[in-house]
Amino acid sequence: MAPVLSRYLETIKDNLRLDPSEETDIIHELETHIEDRVQELKEAGLSEEEATHTCLKLFGSAQAIARQIYEAHSQGNWKQALLAATPHLLYGILFALNWWQYIGWHTIMLTIILGIVFYGLWHGKPTWVFPWLGYTLLPVVVAGILLFYLPRVWYWVAVPVYMALASWWVFYTVEQTIRRDWLFSSLMLLPVPIIAGWVLVVEPWTGFTSEIYQRIYDFAPWIALSFVSLALTIVAFLRIRQRWLRVLLLIIAGLLMLTMISYYTHGRLGLPAFLILAIAMCGLFLVPAFLERRIRKGNRKFKESVVIE
Amino acid sequence: MVRRGKVIKGNLDSLLLCILDQQPMYGYQIIRELKKRSQGYFEFKEGTLYPALHRLEKSGLVAGKWEMLANGRPRRYYHLTAKGRARLTDERTKWLDFLNAMNLIFQPASYKG
Repeated sequence: MAPVLSRYLETIKDNLRLDPSEETDIIHELETHIEDRVQELKEAGLSEEEATHTCLKLFGSAQAIARQIYEAHSQGNWKQALLAATPHLLYGILFALNWWQYIGWHTIMLTIILGIVFYGLWHGKPTWVFPWLGYTLLPVVVAGILLFYLPRVWYWVAVPVYMALASWWVFYTVEQTIRRDWLFSSLMLLPVPIIAGWVLVVEPWTGFTSEIYQRIYDFAPWIALSFVSLALTIVAFLRIRQRWLRVLLLIIAGLLMLTMISYYTHGRLGLPAFLILAIAMCGLFLVPAFLERRIRKGNRKFKESVVIE
Repeated sequence: MVRRGKVIKGNLDSLLLCILDQQPMYGYQIIRELKKRSQGYFEFKEGTLYPALHRLEKSGLVAGKWEMLANGRPRRYYHLTAKGRARLTDERTKWLDFLNAMNLIFQPASYKG
């Protein structure tokens, strides 16, 4: 196949952002069509170059085709949407019923989350696995908070180990997600500013005193509401086909949830903290897009260098 | 004035269901068949055929399957499902009603009311 046709198919593949096996199938199908058309044009008397040029003109814009195919495939069914929303709903129930106080429930939740994440990663990373994957970052945050309670000597030993392990896990999960679609990475990171907002409201670093417990107890219904809102956002995200609408949904939902935290905690989340979290949230949404560009650029350069060699 | 491309886009799903009603076909074959049966009227950007086919497949109206041609080259054949056939019957009825109503307006002489 002519290099220009390979590049054309490569552009479509880069913009599909679907399941890798689905992508391979689609590209193969388009490739057979293009081969047929080029062959027909050559038989009609066109040179290889003319046939290729005419074929691409007849086929249309690679980006537009990829976008339309993405929209045909991207919509999840209700079962997938419910499955994706389940981790948020489980945490919503945990706070709504005030079971957050029992370490046993947290252990059960973590076991379920890890079990489902490994199942999903093993079965080709379906769309619904990404919100579950995001929750594997929660123990990292909790472990970070617990570091404050270590004796001084242990603290200095534990911090470098924690930083190395936490960075590796965060980098691994984000990279794995970006390789599929940067938008899933943004989806996965959506709870981070919301949970950070609640942590800032509760201020657990002053020690797990009865005052802190009472504070969490008082805010528990609103924390539960945040998780239910996250679940509804995920359902809407999976049911929407268009990418731009999905981006808009994540930004609006994130800002609304931060506003809700600020409103129902009677100013415990002040304006500076709100603004910092809102900026951090936009950063968390946009950084994956930037990283995806870098990764794909790197991959393209690597492929080109292999071809040259 | 409405461009031909827009008219085709609005009716592409029905056209594809109708074409596939006769026999299973692969993408390139569908393009050729559409062009042949419409005497060259239905010509459009070929790449846009696939999003439409995949959309129909996701809706359960058509089903795709890889098959080998006699020359050993694989092609993805699409065929109508029972749901697709029911939809086509429905679309045909709607289209004939519409056509009939249009004729009554454009050719008032044929109106026997």
